[in-house]
Amino acid sequence: MKKIFFQQYIVPAALLMTAGMAGSCKKLIEIPPSPPTEIVQSQQFADSSTTMTAVALVYSYVSLQTSNGFGYNDAKLPEATGLSSDELIYTSTNIPDMTAFTGYGLTNRNSVVAQLWANQYSSLYPINAIIEGVNGSTGLSAGFKKQITAEMQVVRALYYFNGVNLFGGVPLSLTTDYNVTNKLARASVDSVYGQILTDLTSAKQNLSVDYPSSGHIRPNQLVATALLSRVYLYRQQWQQAYDAANTVISSGSYSLTSDPNATFLDGSTEAIWQLPATSSYYVTEEGYDFSPNYGAAPNYLINSWLLNAFEPGDIRMQDWLGQMVVNGNTLYYPHKYKNIQASSPTTEDYMILRLAEQYLIRAEASAELGNGAAALADVNIVRARAGLPASTADPASQTAVLNAIMHERQVELFTEWGHRWYDLKRTNQAGTVLGAEKTGWTADAALYPVPVAQLQNDVNLKQNPGY
Amino acid sequence: MLLAAFKGASLPGRKTPITKSLLAMRLTGILLLASCLHLSANTRAQQINLSEKHVPLNKVFKKITDQTGYLFVYRDEWMKQTHDISISVHNAGLKEVLDICFKDQPFTYAIIDKMVVLKDTVLPTLAVIGDGQPADGIRGRVADSLGSPLAGASIRIKGTTKGTQADIHGDFVMKNLPQGTVLVVSYTGFISREFTVTEKNTGYFYMALKRSPDELDATVIQAYGTTSRRFNVGSISTVDAATIEKQPVTNVMLALQGQIPGLAVTSTSGVPGNTVLLQVRGQNTIMANNPPYGLRPYDQPLIIIDGVPFAPQNNNLSQYGNLGSDPSIDGGISQFGGVSPFASINPADVESITVLRDADATSIYGTQGSNGVILITTKKGRPGKTVFGLTATTGFNSAARPVKVLNTQQYLQVRKQAFAQDSITPGLIPYSAGYAPDLLVFDQDKYTNWGKTIYGKTTNNTDIHASVSGGSTNNTFILSGGYTRSNFNYPGDFSDQRLTLHSMLHHSSIDNRLTMDFGVDVGYDQNHSAGYAGNKDILLPPNMPDLKNPDGSLVWTYKGVDVSNYQFYAYLMQPDNLQNYNINNTLHLGYKIISGLSIGVTAGYNRNTTNETTKIPAASVNPVYVYRSAQFGQNNYQTLNIEPQIDYNVTIGKGTLSALIGGSYKKNTNYQQTLEGTGYSNDLFLGSIEGASQVMASDQTTLYKYDAGFARLKYIYNQEFIVSLGGRRDGSSNFGPGRQFGSFGSVGAGWIFTQEKPVKKALPFLSYGKIYGSYGTSGSDGIAPYSFQPFYKPNNYIPAVQGIQPNVPQNLYNPDYGWATKRSLNIALDLGFFHDRILFNTTFYRDREGGQLGGYPQPIQTGFGQVLQNLPSSVQNQGWEFALTSTNIQGRDFTWKTNFNIAFNRNKLLGFPNLASSPYAQLYQIGKPTSIVFGYKYEGVNPATGEFQYLTAKGQLTSSPTYGLVADGGDQVPIADREVKYAGGFGNTFTYKRLSLYVFFQFSSQTAPNWMSTLYGSYTPGNANINMPAAVFGKYWTGPGDTHATLQRLVTSYSSQYARSASSFGLSSGAYSDDTYARLKTLSLSWSLPEKLLKGAHIHDLRIYCNAQNLLTFTNYKVADPETFNDYTTFPVQRIVAFGLNCNF
Repeated sequence: MKKIFFQQYIVPAALLMTAGMAGSCKKLIEIPPSPPTEIVQSQQFADSSTTMTAVALVYSYVSLQTSNGFGYNDAKLPEATGLSSDELIYTSTNIPDMTAFTGYGLTNRNSVVAQLWANQYSSLYPINAIIEGVNGSTGLSAGFKKQITAEMQVVRALYYFNGVNLFGGVPLSLTTDYNVTNKLARASVDSVYGQILTDLTSAKQNLSVDYPSSGHIRPNQLVATALLSRVYLYRQQWQQAYDAANTVISSGSYSLTSDPNATFLDGSTEAIWQLPATSSYYVTEEGYDFSPNYGAAPNYLINSWLLNAFEPGDIRMQDWLGQMVVNGNTLYYPHKYKNIQASSPTTEDYMILRLAEQYLIRAEASAELGNGAAALADVNIVRARAGLPASTADPASQTAVLNAIMHERQVELFTEWGHRWYDLKRTNQAGTVLGAEKTGWTADAALYPVPVAQLQNDVNLKQNPGY
Repeated sequence: MLLAAFKGASLPGRKTPITKSLLAMRLTGILLLASCLHLSANTRAQQINLSEKHVPLNKVFKKITDQTGYLFVYRDEWMKQTHDISISVHNAGLKEVLDICFKDQPFTYAIIDKMVVLKDTVLPTLAVIGDGQPADGIRGRVADSLGSPLAGASIRIKGTTKGTQADIHGDFVMKNLPQGTVLVVSYTGFISREFTVTEKNTGYFYMALKRSPDELDATVIQAYGTTSRRFNVGSISTVDAATIEKQPVTNVMLALQGQIPGLAVTSTSGVPGNTVLLQVRGQNTIMANNPPYGLRPYDQPLIIIDGVPFAPQNNNLSQYGNLGSDPSIDGGISQFGGVSPFASINPADVESITVLRDADATSIYGTQGSNGVILITTKKGRPGKTVFGLTATTGFNSAARPVKVLNTQQYLQVRKQAFAQDSITPGLIPYSAGYAPDLLVFDQDKYTNWGKTIYGKTTNNTDIHASVSGGSTNNTFILSGGYTRSNFNYPGDFSDQRLTLHSMLHHSSIDNRLTMDFGVDVGYDQNHSAGYAGNKDILLPPNMPDLKNPDGSLVWTYKGVDVSNYQFYAYLMQPDNLQNYNINNTLHLGYKIISGLSIGVTAGYNRNTTNETTKIPAASVNPVYVYRSAQFGQNNYQTLNIEPQIDYNVTIGKGTLSALIGGSYKKNTNYQQTLEGTGYSNDLFLGSIEGASQVMASDQTTLYKYDAGFARLKYIYNQEFIVSLGGRRDGSSNFGPGRQFGSFGSVGAGWIFTQEKPVKKALPFLSYGKIYGSYGTSGSDGIAPYSFQPFYKPNNYIPAVQGIQPNVPQNLYNPDYGWATKRSLNIALDLGFFHDRILFNTTFYRDREGGQLGGYPQPIQTGFGQVLQNLPSSVQNQGWEFALTSTNIQGRDFTWKTNFNIAFNRNKLLGFPNLASSPYAQLYQIGKPTSIVFGYKYEGVNPATGEFQYLTAKGQLTSSPTYGLVADGGDQVPIADREVKYAGGFGNTFTYKRLSLYVFFQFSSQTAPNWMSTLYGSYTPGNANINMPAAVFGKYWTGPGDTHATLQRLVTSYSSQYARSASSFGLSSGAYSDDTYARLKTLSLSWSLPEKLLKGAHIHDLRIYCNAQNLLTFTNYKVADPETFNDYTTFPVQRIVAFGLNCNF
């Protein structure tokens, strides 16, 4: 019985099984399209709610190098540019590569520069992927696609704006196809700005008047307009800069906070664009980095040039600078963001665009357009909030007015997103100001080097002069 | 041996010579015995009457012979081993009487015709069972002395080429055999025997072959089967249980160190349960990561246990930091340590470990086998008396080579001198250059030897293993359990504990067509370790104040100085507790269809689960920051494996052909999860995730499916020529559509030239000579599953934005990558001298791997640092291996055996199109080893300035060399490579009567980072309140004109030029030294107690032993351990001295 059973069933079955392996090979190694913890691109953009999970990443700001959220999380943009200009002194030895910014000793291997370069692109990838994903999706409404694309264009413009100001022309990565992007050469400064303007004007048209969600996280029309005003200012398109800033200011959507201590809080009335800063350990990168820890002296001190720029009675000096007495000396450090720990009683957000800058842009555009009085009026609005009297500059002197604006930008926008460093460079004052203040300045120092690893990975990339 | 068994045989009751038929059998060297009484002994009712008290057994036999006519066959001296019996029976049957007689005797009996044959409790060697035979031939079975069938045994008619082969159950049938035909029964690994067909013995017979003492014929486990060294044409080496049990190691892989040529076994540190790195014949792949980040890869072999791929392979089980997780070892290439998956496997359950190295041996494993294969076979039961075994060992561990650091006086002197030379005044601002609480605040006379505090103690280890095994010919079993506890040579209650249960059942049906083997292994390992990096604290300043208050609480500030960065005891309060569960099930079913043809299936399931918990209680954190956290990690590997196969063995002409066709299906799943809880209200809740107010989670699932069809043909012609062909087609789910399948194959051939008569005549001392080789390809799909698609994954560590948890893109999308291919050539020569008392092997091999799968670096403007693709590189490993085993003295009481092996591997990058313009330009050079190191040429200390000097690209001396390759304007040139130049082992076994001594040395030579590379790695001598090895003292430059200094001027400031010249040292040739060592790896002394001492205690044998590991090290390598070089703060390799006893009863 047993024998028959084996010969009749088991043997043929085993033979078939073995012989059949070849035929059914493909079936045997089929696996689900994705593991339970991941989804593929087409699933990611299948409907609006999953699409929003990709969009959320673009507005997230975390202190983890591995994730590609908002691009300057670990890149220390305010720190590096603060050292390159005349805002900060680095006292610590924790990041040896940080010291090289002060004396213009950057090399193509500087790790901080490497992150400034890399993080913008790791953050641009999700943006390009979203633009491609939503437009290739069949499950999304035309209105939603337009809205999301426009939002992404604003963010993309911001990255390229910083990129072109830090490095000069950068590769314009506008697709997720690495076969295209891995061979890119650096675009010219004009093409980068061209792309920025294309993105922002398109975004401005397509974005809604209202913020698409609560708070000021996702851009509306005014965010695009505010960023446009800055770009026009940098491109010396004064009338467009004036108009854009004027649109933002006169929209009535924003007002300067009466208390400078409230400027950087969540829901600040002058916030045009704010990103949430919530992690379990600490709040903003700046709050953590600038505030002294562990009883040590602050890692970054306010440079005497910035310190001396504050006029007596400037409330910002008390509110936005911290103080610590070490060996009888008072050390000042940036204190716009005050929270160090997540458990802090107030909630701070990253301030990307705020109204005070728009006043100063409109002021500068007015001055350049020959309207000194209007310019000073805007400057004085900012000064008033700081508890300072009206500017004494002569409205008839364009130079005096522009100097007053430059001074106001210095004390108002310090350690925010590289303003001071960019301002000195775009107004061609970097050489005279920094050359006089510090040693080591060269014209080549105005641009940071392209990291050597990137040059190795893409032979079409060329280095900036001097590195 | 067998003949000898007959010489003293006498037949009690009769003085006549033994019968003719017996004589005939005696002449052919066969002892007739019956195996299955129930088959042959038709004991008719014999009427026996006995009444005896305390009489010798042979007296009883005589009476039975008198009453029944049955003769007793035995050797006289056997009677000395029997005990007297008392018996009282009336009209009893023969069997009944015999059962009484043999109760508790060391012998059993068999009834053959009119004879009662005594036999040792081991199985019979030959039995003819006289019914149910074909009249014109014989039917029989060939087995080993333990009753296991010898499938494929050859049965030939002597003097002809006619014959047959035994099937998978050892059975065969031969017909048309005239009387007097002499059959030769042979099987590899066993002594051939002859058998004459007579009237008496036609019919079913059972023949046991004796295992050959010749190592050439020992069974060698190969892919999907066994072979012998004599007929093997692949590169296969085995380490057996006897060698493993002499080594007091808890990780079975450490028992392979130095034993197998071409296999590198490297401990990552001395932490109990720590990862052991394995590599066969060098590194085949180059680094795939973006150059500045990540570690270089380290190719490791495929590991298979009882036919089932070990689910976790050799991956680190730990997901969090613990004492063993330093990237401490630099086996040419930095690797992270961690907890080894082998922690849950008991070396005492391992029968043998086989390493397959070339294409012939490994190509049948296809994918993942291309970096070599390690086959672990566990112990099986043996037929016979049920044996209980017990082994108990207690061992003592201490640091093998502790690092000596400066004492307070020396330390303070160095620090003060450093400040003086920098003209810096010591101060108390944290993180400033002059920060020196050790000089200004700490007690200048206090001395704590931190090295001794941390690694000074000797710990106690325990190992207990008990087994029971036995069974009949058709059913055997083994069941064993073990407990191992290894304590950390570290303060605190830390240990690695293991519980294992091993079982294996074998069954064959009565007709022996069906065989079944089923085994279950259950392992549990608990690794209780302290928090990460505590081992670095051997470098705490020696005048550090007490870090514990008298009440046991931790000190965080001392006289206003924050000492939280030095708080060693905090690490002890931050435990990492890992629990690993391993279940391995294996099943093998075999069924014989017809003679020579059988089918079978091997199936197995392995599940390896790890739960890990780390805790950071508030009590272990500076109270200024109220912080508690706990992490919970889970890691679950599973492998399901099904391999049907058909075996066919046939005699064709003068040779035997074995064919194997099989299929393979494998499914691997891996699930990893981490939970991190913060915001606990109380330290007591840290064991629970629910107590956390904030939880961050992440998980990852990977799925891999693989199938293959394979075939192997092997033809052995006239015991002289061997040809072997293997081929397979592999499919892997790791590849995108159209890329899933690959074909691979190998060809092997061998010639036993000593079979040629002229060779035999010309070289009489040469008893065996074989030249053989193989060439083949194997494929690799060793990449992360699913990488051919673009993925998005939620990331719990990114805070939600307006309630939406962000999804993060994971990778660039490349559907085009496919199988990597390795081509291996292997040529070898085996020689046996003086009747194979000396066996010598030399092997030349050349492996070339191309199209390696890896992340190819991308400019970051693509969004990612790399994209997975087949790299253009081609890497070659080529080398020689030599192995020698020799029986130097083989006396009655004294034997001396030696084994020696050495391997030389040379690695080079064979090709890499456009290397210079690729991201790898900084890392590799064509024609140079893949472990090449670029750096500055070191030129000693400048006697005038006290700075280290290096050569610039232009050949000038400088203390501030320019970073970068010469081609990029830098001063870096190739300065070293990290290849192991040679490695091997040398062992001697001496036995004198019951005493046995095994002395085994392991040796290795390479260029490795020296202790100064650590010294100048992250700080320089003199700064940062960190102690340094005592070897620093007196070596540093003291002033102008000091020409003897080997270390540069002391320095405290990070920003001085001296700090810069010091920081270049780690990138210079000065940081590399020759690292050659020979280590007395194992010293094992054992003594078996004489049997007469044991007899009363019913103990079969008892052995007491002392095993020692890492007793002595001879090396030119300074300060740190030559095995775990690169960082002298690594948890030291342990010296183990273990005492134990082993008994069977």
